[in-house]
Amino acid sequence: MTNQKWIAYALEKGFEAFEIYQILEKNKSVQWFAGEVDSFVTSRVLGTSLRGIYNGKMANFSVEDPSDSNMEMVISNMITQANAITSDEEVVIREPEDTVPVKSKRVWVRPSNEQIRDVMKTLEEKCYQYDPRIVQVSSVQWEEVKNVRKIENSKGMQIEDEITVQALIAGVAASENGQVKTGFKVEMVEDLSQFDQDEFVEKLCSDAVKQLGATSLPSGEYPVILERSAMTNLFAAFTGMFSGDLISKGISPLKDKLGQSVFSDKITVIDDPRFADAINVVSYDDEGCPTRTKKLVEDGVFTTILHDSKSAKKMGTESTGNGFRPAYTSPVNVVPRNCYIVPGDKDLDGLCESMGEGLVITSMMGLHAGIDFVTTNFSLQCAGYWVKDGKRDHSVTLITMAANFLDLMKNVEEVGNDIKWSYGDIACPSVRFTSCAISGE
Amino acid sequence: MLDKKQLERYLSFCMNSEADFAEIYEELENSETITALNGKMENVNNILTKGIGVRLYKGLQSVYAYSNETEEEAVMPLLEELVDSFGKCDKGVSIRLEEVLYENRHPVKIDFEQVALEEKNELLKRANDAAFGTDERIVKVQAGLLNVKQKVQIANSNGRLIGDTRVRTRLTVEAFSQEGDNFQSGSDRPGAGKGLEFYEEMTPEEIGREAARVALVNLQAKDCPSGKMPVVIDKAFGGVIFHEACGHALEATSVSKNRSVFTGKLGQQIASTCVSAVDDGTIPNAWGSQNIDDEGNFQKRRVLIENGILKSYMIDTLNGRRMGMESTSSSRRQSYQYEPTSRMSNTFILPGDSEFEELFEGIEKGLYAKKMGGGSVNPQTGEFNFAVLEGYMIENGKVTYPVKGAALIGNGKDILWNIDKVGKDLARGQGMCGSLSGSIPTDVGQPAIRVTSITVGGTAHD
Repeated sequence: MTNQKWIAYALEKGFEAFEIYQILEKNKSVQWFAGEVDSFVTSRVLGTSLRGIYNGKMANFSVEDPSDSNMEMVISNMITQANAITSDEEVVIREPEDTVPVKSKRVWVRPSNEQIRDVMKTLEEKCYQYDPRIVQVSSVQWEEVKNVRKIENSKGMQIEDEITVQALIAGVAASENGQVKTGFKVEMVEDLSQFDQDEFVEKLCSDAVKQLGATSLPSGEYPVILERSAMTNLFAAFTGMFSGDLISKGISPLKDKLGQSVFSDKITVIDDPRFADAINVVSYDDEGCPTRTKKLVEDGVFTTILHDSKSAKKMGTESTGNGFRPAYTSPVNVVPRNCYIVPGDKDLDGLCESMGEGLVITSMMGLHAGIDFVTTNFSLQCAGYWVKDGKRDHSVTLITMAANFLDLMKNVEEVGNDIKWSYGDIACPSVRFTSCAISGE
Repeated sequence: MLDKKQLERYLSFCMNSEADFAEIYEELENSETITALNGKMENVNNILTKGIGVRLYKGLQSVYAYSNETEEEAVMPLLEELVDSFGKCDKGVSIRLEEVLYENRHPVKIDFEQVALEEKNELLKRANDAAFGTDERIVKVQAGLLNVKQKVQIANSNGRLIGDTRVRTRLTVEAFSQEGDNFQSGSDRPGAGKGLEFYEEMTPEEIGREAARVALVNLQAKDCPSGKMPVVIDKAFGGVIFHEACGHALEATSVSKNRSVFTGKLGQQIASTCVSAVDDGTIPNAWGSQNIDDEGNFQKRRVLIENGILKSYMIDTLNGRRMGMESTSSSRRQSYQYEPTSRMSNTFILPGDSEFEELFEGIEKGLYAKKMGGGSVNPQTGEFNFAVLEGYMIENGKVTYPVKGAALIGNGKDILWNIDKVGKDLARGQGMCGSLSGSIPTDVGQPAIRVTSITVGGTAHD
């Protein structure tokens, strides 16, 4: 595809502004099972997404065959689209802007296939040696993704950057007395030769083994700690509440709440696409708007609404640089990037100690189905462990935790310090809550 | 699409290696999503997908490469990488393809590509107006129309060349209701493997009214009870219980690697005798049907459970090798960007002999789960969950008041034993199922059933 040719042609056909967004994704995935490489996947995919303003309306088109022979068909289709849109929202294609470039701290060293195989083989062996109750290493997988992003538009914008991620993923099953429990771990690995295999195996296997003998709990209200990954998953399911798009449509539970106390005063939330500890660090959003650091919630008070250009126009303000495409085929939307709850002082053991007796939830399942975003009511399958005298006692499974998220976030006792950035764009430390409804036996 | 000669050359190149099987999957997809808020068309997104996925087997090992650059100069390096990973060897193999022709079981009457956007917007508008017309407490309506046409062509080293065109449509309505500060939502999202003729039988008005009805019920919902209790799960999308509690654990992806609670249970009783279930990818124009699976084998009707006895797993070719069993034509994938594996199609519990009213008899305190959301499962432990979106209390055999949504959780190897009554009125509901080979359309289904005891994840305790 000749980008400038497409842009010129679109303008000639009457588009007021036109933009080409491209992602070239290269991926390698190696999976190990039962002593050999089980599957090897390699790919190269160029995704092209076009958008343009015609008679004041935005048309969107994604195409995987951006050869010039498709140009007339695509542009004419986009004109038809624009003519059919009846919404009168103001739309924007941005002017280029300078910004201070940022980069993730991570330095990715690409391993050889032999190195990957050796590590996977050793990891599998180490898992089996860890404990006789580890009955299966369900999979060990190496993933490498490199995304090169390009944004080019009729106003002179030219942006190109890239993001790399390398990860090791493994799952094990432990079994005792007919009960099976699984452990699963994803670890970002910058340099495989420096990777601490023993620590990885310890965490992965102990997670599965410790769950053996887990039982349910009698239904009731209990003091609860959401361990960081459970907290991250739950928080991520509700971060849409900060979206200017959903607020302006009156669908967000935080509509009309700007400036009000919405969470406990122990909670501060930051959204920072420039945060160098995170993986997906970017200087510009997917519309070419410079990114910046925002406090969304400060000491419990809702202080900033996230915007892309369109939602900002609608609410009479400026974009916060949060116009992202969840996939290259998706239109630009308001999306948080490197959004986190600011950590407190204590580690998880410290939180357990101050709780004394109660429940630690380590995993939550069914988040795509078990939450009602509008009311923030949720009911989710959970697992974790019981804490007695401030220490881990027995494992707990097949329970649900149900609450109203906004109410829950007002009942925070303490925020932990154990935040960890992984592949996601949201991160939370462990958080201790006064109590929550648990359903079990 | 690549022509026969080209495919033969590529496959021959692949088979002159240590590989014992090669397959080329090619896909062209046109997808169109139209969204409207309060009757105004907000957004149209067209996506034209085009790509190729090549897979080689050597025994139980597989290598897969995909790209959307389908010109020879882009494809050859991929093939070389695949061949190199198993090792080249000139066996003098030359593949000849034979195209397999068949009658399309899923004909489409109104092709969405031939219909103007204005007419599609009219469908959204009709749904919108019906939802608003239900009650003045309906304050907002979001509607979306999805149309997809996917053309696939599959060629393999056994000489098979076969294609399929899959069309599907879905109308989604989310209605928002308000009474003072009480703000609720309700949705409905039916679909089918059809063209726009679908909306002649399932009218946008019905869909809009159903979404509004749920949003209004939710305004009255009280706290949901918690703990173990009997639950009556209604027909259609209620079948998500089988999909999660049992379906995923019967996929060869889990079974072949001993990662399922049902591994090695063929011929054994795994459910109460009133439970019979099938996975049927042949139902004409159903949401989860195709003519052929994504390995090019004709779709089938698979009896999974008959009177509680496990009769069959859902198996793809590669996992079949590991299991020493034939493929059941269950191999599916979201797109060329995924290696296919065993998946469900239209999976449902077959009708039983209980009248609907009988299901409630004798329940002192329980839950009537009328409308379900999605769920998930860990097939290895059997632990699953799914969401109730519209529920009611059952007190002394009678349905009393609506309660807030809650998760139902359990273990698949136990829960199927707790189904004690199965109704007569089978219906199916549409969902998107996510697993190893991506997100694919699947139907779930059942008549109304009764589960004697399952954990309900509410907030109200006795």
